[in-house]
Amino acid sequence: MKTTAKRAIVLLMMLSLLLSSLSTAMADDDDWYTYTYSYWGDEMASPNAYAVTNVIYAKDVDPELGSFSNPTSIFTIDDHVFICDTNNNRIVELIKKDGKYELVREIYTVEVSTLLADAMTFSGHVDPTLYNPTDIFVKKTTDKERAEHYGEYKGDPYVYPDVPETKTDDTKTDDTKTDETAAPEDKGEEKSDETAADDSATATSEGDEDGENGENGENGENGENGENGENGENSDGEGDNGEPSTPPPERKENIIKQKLDCDYDIFIADKQHHRVIHCDYDLNVISVIRDPKDDTLGKDFIFRPEHIVNDNAHRTYVQAEGVVNGLMEFDSQGEFTGYVGAAKVVISFFQRLWRKLQTKEQKNRSEQYVPTEYNNLSLDSRGFIYATISALDDQDIYAGVATPIRKLNSMGSDILIRNGSHFPMGDVKWGNITSTASGASKFVDVIAFENDTYCCLDKTRGKIFAYDFQGNLLYAFGNIGYSRGRFTRVTSMDNLDEETILVLDGMRGCITEFSMTSYGKMINEALDLYKKGYYDESAKVWKEILQYNGNFELAYVGIGRALLRQGEYKEAMKYFKNAHDSENYSKAFRHYREEVVEKYILYAVIALAVLIIVPKVIRKIRRLRKEIKEA
Amino acid sequence: MRKLLSNIAYYFKGEGWRNYRKSFRYAFYVILHPFDGFWDLTHEKRGSMGVAHTIVILTVLTHLWDRRFTNFMLNNTQWSKFSIWLNVLGILVPLIIWVAANWGITTLFDGKGRFKDIYMGTAYALTPYPMIGLPMIFLSNVVTKEEGVFYTYFNTFALVWAAFLVLCAVLMIHDYSLLKGIVVVLASIVGMAVIMFVVLLFFSLISDAVMYFVAIYKEILYRIG
Repeated sequence: MKTTAKRAIVLLMMLSLLLSSLSTAMADDDDWYTYTYSYWGDEMASPNAYAVTNVIYAKDVDPELGSFSNPTSIFTIDDHVFICDTNNNRIVELIKKDGKYELVREIYTVEVSTLLADAMTFSGHVDPTLYNPTDIFVKKTTDKERAEHYGEYKGDPYVYPDVPETKTDDTKTDDTKTDETAAPEDKGEEKSDETAADDSATATSEGDEDGENGENGENGENGENGENGENGENSDGEGDNGEPSTPPPERKENIIKQKLDCDYDIFIADKQHHRVIHCDYDLNVISVIRDPKDDTLGKDFIFRPEHIVNDNAHRTYVQAEGVVNGLMEFDSQGEFTGYVGAAKVVISFFQRLWRKLQTKEQKNRSEQYVPTEYNNLSLDSRGFIYATISALDDQDIYAGVATPIRKLNSMGSDILIRNGSHFPMGDVKWGNITSTASGASKFVDVIAFENDTYCCLDKTRGKIFAYDFQGNLLYAFGNIGYSRGRFTRVTSMDNLDEETILVLDGMRGCITEFSMTSYGKMINEALDLYKKGYYDESAKVWKEILQYNGNFELAYVGIGRALLRQGEYKEAMKYFKNAHDSENYSKAFRHYREEVVEKYILYAVIALAVLIIVPKVIRKIRRLRKEIKEA
Repeated sequence: MRKLLSNIAYYFKGEGWRNYRKSFRYAFYVILHPFDGFWDLTHEKRGSMGVAHTIVILTVLTHLWDRRFTNFMLNNTQWSKFSIWLNVLGILVPLIIWVAANWGITTLFDGKGRFKDIYMGTAYALTPYPMIGLPMIFLSNVVTKEEGVFYTYFNTFALVWAAFLVLCAVLMIHDYSLLKGIVVVLASIVGMAVIMFVVLLFFSLISDAVMYFVAIYKEILYRIG
């Protein structure tokens, strides 16, 4: 008998089950190339927003270019592409012409005038070479602007001692035609190790000066470099990925293939020479940032600039190795003016508790909770700095406490909008995409587009994440691997125009060119229209996007917003519900409720009146009748 | 089957139905006068098992309907991962373990209540949850997100109320002082953990044992075949 009772209970429960119509689970396939994340943090397949259009190796551009050795940075302006070929101590400039990349020049040294000889002097010697340049920043400028902010810089060329005068003249005038024989000679020396390079340097006339530089200027620093390289690895874990920094460079001629005339200012982070060189397009040094002086920096601080930008007010922001107080800001005179955007120290409750319980000795021995240092930065068209931090605790990222991407205003505060269902943190699910990579995404570079969308480059899984101005993930793509569109170790990226991005693979030494597909363009169009206030037009585009990608929650929100403005509240609610946007749903619901109440309030009042007044009236009439009868 | 029908018939006419309604109405008295109410619930036999079952079922249904019908602004249910059985068992299993653990502890600490009494007391103590929860489901569908704090507030209130009633039930059913009652409640929670651990251990061992015999069976088959 009891079993029957149980059955009755089960029946009741099944009734409940029927009432709750369960939506079917989404396909849990994680092998998509392009995807987005749903509100619930599930990967949702998406059409490709970018397609690989080209994979460029150095030797394909020009056979004499050799191959890139640990290139760490790529920068584009107009059609020019600058690549910091770090371990080859050079910067390679390419230009895109008719869809093909051509070599413009290889930059090994800069031109020093007598006016700036002091600034370029190390231990009594002027050293114009680049030593492991890690970043380059180029911006458009004019002669007038230069003169205004930096004064006169074009002086007589500095005459290097021990070098025949004709030699320096050569570098000035005959830049266009360099000796073909010089290149192989240089390569041979590159391969030799540090001591051998110093010894053999005496062989050539060119090598003479370098030998001296090496002896006098560089030896002391080399020792330090070795130490600090290790330090960098310990503290950051990324460093140069264990690759030994190359020996101090020989003084090589710049190889110039095309003589172009551009109004650009070039900023080079000459890392192992501890300076930021600012020069014009013809490489005449305009100013040098070096040896920043500040109480916070400590006595044995060595300035190792890694990434740089220069804003419209001619301030230079430098992300330097081992600097944890934020980005270093320098004025146009090269004076250190302070830090910008110090990342907050994130200490969890338990860490704090543990700290309280520790003795003084333990405290001293345990690691210090220092703010995390930035690892890259870039400037958007409005002059805001986008910066990335990769040395963050996974748990902090998961909890949303840590901010791997920040957008800094000139005051240094983080103004990145994080309104998406997930924080801009790259992958939301960490385990299952590739078996080799785990943990949170670690961003190494970020680029901002004109329309305030931004792309972040994740070195953990070789992925690119694109976010809109509200912090919604638009799409993520890329992966670790050797095929087209996959990367081994991404180091940097930049956008050639609004629809082309170049991603630099530091291990393979190649550049992958991505071009936006029509799907990606549609998303941009919809976002642009929305930002300009054309909500209805934007909704039309969003609807079209839904045809391609029904999983795209942002599209539902976009349509819902337009419907909300049109007063189609009920319909808007539907779309917001699809996108799990409860804020907007609530807005739409408030209007909808008003509408319903307004519509039925009259009936409700009438009904109430009928219920209350009519009986009263009837009663009164009856009483009256009674009275009349009696009377 | 016939007995069940006669039971139902008993309930739906005459004495039984009147008693059922009476002890159901008593639930509302209990939640407003917990000390007096829980004492009389068992000692004066004013509660009934039928009503206790009803309240438990209502609690389960309220929980399910809450998940299903609460407005989506206030309802974070991922339907693709929703399991109705997990939700039902999520209420029933802790309830049963609680009653068992409390019974075990109170038997050692000279509690007056029987297993049945503890179950009945706990069930009656759950009354505020469906009582407040069901109207809140309706309310959630006519409020905006900002007004939704009322929904959360009232539901939390219901849970706190129910927890307080459970404590009162323990005090009155076992005739304990306040301090002893609190200690027993805490001990019962520890006891619940122990029971769950033992059950898990038991099932894990059983499955290992079964696997062992299955392996032997397969081995024998392999050898013979």
